[in-house]
Amino acid sequence: MHTTTAGKKRSARERESGKTFQWMSGGLLTIGALFFLLPFFWMILSSFKPEGEILQIPPTFWPKRFTMDNFAYLFENMNFGVYLKNTLIIVLFSFVGLLLNAIAGFGFAKYDFKGRNALFVLVLATMMIPSQVTMIPVYLILNSLGLTNTMTGIVLPGLVGAFAIFLFRQFMSTIPTELMEATRLDGASEYRIFLQIVLPISKPILAVQAILTFIAGWNSFLWPLIIANDESLYTLSVGLSLLKGQYAAKFGLQMAGATFMVAPVIVLFTYFQKHIIENFSISGMK
Amino acid sequence: MKKTLAMITTVALGAGLLAGCGTNKGEGGANAGDGGSAGKKVTINVWGMGEEAKTLPTVAAAFENENPKITIKVQALPWDQGHDKLLTAIASKKGPDVIQMGTSWIPEFAEAGALADLAPYVEQYPEMKPENFYEGAVAAGKSGDKYVSSPWYVETRVLYYRADLLKEAGYDKAPQTWEELSDAAQKLAARGKGKYGISIDPKEQSLGFMFSRQNGAKWFTEDGKPNFSDDKFVEAVKYINSFYQNGSAPKDLGLDIVPAFKEGILPMFISGPWMIKLIQDQAPEIEGKWAMAVLPKKENNISLLGGSNLSIFEYSQNKDAAAKFIAFMSKPETQLKWMEQTSSLPAATAAWENEKLKNDEFYKVIGEQLKAAQPMPVIPAWAQISESYLKHFEAIYRSNADVKKELEAFNAEAAKLMK
Amino acid sequence: MKGFLNKQAPYIFIAPTLILLTLFSIVPILVALVISFSDMDLGGLANFDSISFIGFDNYIEVLKDPVFLKAILNTLFYVVIGVPLVILFSLAIALLINLGTSRIFKVFRVVYYLPSVTNIVAVAVVWSYLYNPALGLFNYLLNSVGLPDVPWLTEPTVAKLSLILLALWKAIGLNMIIFIAALQGVPKSYYEAAELDGANTWQQVTRITIPMLRFAIFFVSVTTMIGWLQFFEEPFVMTQGGPLDGTLSVALFIYQNGFKFNNFGYAAAGSFVLFVSIIVITLVQLRLQKNESDMT
Repeated sequence: MHTTTAGKKRSARERESGKTFQWMSGGLLTIGALFFLLPFFWMILSSFKPEGEILQIPPTFWPKRFTMDNFAYLFENMNFGVYLKNTLIIVLFSFVGLLLNAIAGFGFAKYDFKGRNALFVLVLATMMIPSQVTMIPVYLILNSLGLTNTMTGIVLPGLVGAFAIFLFRQFMSTIPTELMEATRLDGASEYRIFLQIVLPISKPILAVQAILTFIAGWNSFLWPLIIANDESLYTLSVGLSLLKGQYAAKFGLQMAGATFMVAPVIVLFTYFQKHIIENFSISGMK
Repeated sequence: MKKTLAMITTVALGAGLLAGCGTNKGEGGANAGDGGSAGKKVTINVWGMGEEAKTLPTVAAAFENENPKITIKVQALPWDQGHDKLLTAIASKKGPDVIQMGTSWIPEFAEAGALADLAPYVEQYPEMKPENFYEGAVAAGKSGDKYVSSPWYVETRVLYYRADLLKEAGYDKAPQTWEELSDAAQKLAARGKGKYGISIDPKEQSLGFMFSRQNGAKWFTEDGKPNFSDDKFVEAVKYINSFYQNGSAPKDLGLDIVPAFKEGILPMFISGPWMIKLIQDQAPEIEGKWAMAVLPKKENNISLLGGSNLSIFEYSQNKDAAAKFIAFMSKPETQLKWMEQTSSLPAATAAWENEKLKNDEFYKVIGEQLKAAQPMPVIPAWAQISESYLKHFEAIYRSNADVKKELEAFNAEAAKLMK
Repeated sequence: MKGFLNKQAPYIFIAPTLILLTLFSIVPILVALVISFSDMDLGGLANFDSISFIGFDNYIEVLKDPVFLKAILNTLFYVVIGVPLVILFSLAIALLINLGTSRIFKVFRVVYYLPSVTNIVAVAVVWSYLYNPALGLFNYLLNSVGLPDVPWLTEPTVAKLSLILLALWKAIGLNMIIFIAALQGVPKSYYEAAELDGANTWQQVTRITIPMLRFAIFFVSVTTMIGWLQFFEEPFVMTQGGPLDGTLSVALFIYQNGFKFNNFGYAAAGSFVLFVSIIVITLVQLRLQKNESDMT
């Protein structure tokens, strides 16, 4: 492209002011980012402080002496191993839910059957129901099914979700019908089409959903708290909230529990963040 | 209504308890044998509450040694969450086998049908016979005629103080009266910024009732209606409130009591015997600098008599094994061992023959206070009533609301709850 | 048999999810409606015969309950202060990040989103410590620059603001990402054209970006509004509604009446009051949005 000298001059000045702007916005964002990260730093650093230093006034930011005692205590005296196991079970089951959502999304995207639109509207409508309204009835329903204080009771209500079905449907609508048609002519059943054609193509959205599902399952708190009475069913979040009540002033211990919960998600998220953030473009939120 | 009154009187009578505490030698020394639980291995779930639940597993291990066929799983719950969790356990008819019951909870949960009748097991295990325990603790374990909760430990509230700091403030011994307590607290608070005189836990449900009783307030009228807004009660609450308003007690400190006591930030507090062990363990530096005393008096210095009992959950599948565990916990030897670990006081009277209880200076104070200690009323609505009191008290100490008005509102609510 | 299965495939595909959604979303609404007219409590749970229907009593009671009214006022406080702040901050941060050219701005994207994926209990644990009056970092920082202590969680109004601060920290990330996604959808050619016309960055933002983002802003404000009307987790884990019910939200009121006091009927009535309010407010917003787009 050809530019005149006048144009060059102006764009140079523009670039100059652009640079100042970049530095300023960078500075602003850095200040904000420090505030955003402060709780994380405070949590991690405090989790390594010995009890005496935690109670010191004024508080120290950097631990004078690093100790692993708090973490050791979690596992020796607090059954955090059991909580970890339960949390992983919940995560595992929520992947089953993820698959169900994908299958349903496929059904809604690629088949024309009686009542499809009405049913899909019904699915979407469930998104608008606030959880406070359903919380008590769901508890009563599970109770009358004898499912309170069971892993099934914890997992079942949140297994499928309208939003995920919606996202899968959006994505799978873009799969060319001809592709399925060709496989069908080869004599493949609808189930094989789903497994061999649709799932592989849907990898991007599956990946994103898998990460989000993991985070949601890992963080699940309120429902396990309501349903699980027995410590053998507690999740990490429930265990941590118990720790907060039981060891109200042992902040070092609390911070260790929190660090243990948060660190895996931070690592996972930082590693996969590109995909998650792109997910919002996929979902057509423009 | 009549029934309520009758119940209150029963407990009040039962509360002259220590007067009649004889030398009831524990008959249940012998191991009750395998008692029917032969065969299958069972696991029983025990729900313990608060601080002491953390130590429960060590005692449970001793039980497991004696009974290799029974495994004990202890679940520790904070007191406030324990209450809610128990409610959901009742709803689902699934939960623990053995539950630690705060004595004030028993009427509520007994009424909800959550606690099994212990009568058959008392027959089977002589350790559990009611006459082995303090009358007050036994009375608290009864719901009507049903005996649903077996005494485990008793507790009463006393004054803990830093003798060294109090001396600097001009007190050679602990405050003896309400006036002295208030005066001492203000003098201690005057030591400077960030120093206080006394810790009065605003979340402690029983304190207001305890102080009002010391002031001679009657909690119920002759016909059994709540009487929480009469002048004596108001005066007592005003007295408690004065500590917050003149700055001698912190409203929100954000510190645990033991470190604050150690640093001298809170040189006095009122609490139960379990604190002895906690201070000794967590603040050995101040040994010899702190002491305990019976509560200061107004008309009297009657303290709270509380404690914990053990109950079998109505829906437990392992009632026999659960009873066996409770019987074990009822033995004077076990309770003494428990005392060494947690400084909880044995509910079994035979345990009080122990040298330590007789001679230790700290336990002597508690023994002294136990002579002037009475329980809270045994009525199902009590948990909710004291909850409601806390809410009104919060309005009083935080925003200095009119005491009389708040207590009148509280009294009206209590009347509603007791219906 | 195989042929039949194949024919019914679409139904088999959607059946499991539909059954679960019906059981745990649709049926509960009906159950909630029914029990909101009953005096169901703990006893009723064990024995359905002891439940009796009491008409609109629960609704009348709950609307007279001073605690519920306080919860409504608190919730409005949260919404009025929280929603604009969330939109403002997440939009501003999204714009700054989007205009940035250096790689460092990608890092900011992660940093600001991080609180959104953090477990609420862990958040509560950490922030309670930060807010602690004696040992907390915040008061220490204030003191070290000569400012007095702030009663973060112990004075009703301040406590509400503290929870809003915490909720902002947690909520900005997600909305920021939505805005960034929307910003990337604005065609580059628009800016190039504006640049040729001599428009500076600020003019480009106000004249092109913001109007182009209208739908995203609308979407974020509706979802944020609904979210804040249901404000629950923060007060639940931080303050349990205290001090003096100062941070009690409507959603927390419902939870406490349901699972702490076991007044299921009463709580269900409260939950329907909330439900209807959310629907009405959302409809009003949709209406306003429609009017606005009619005008332009």
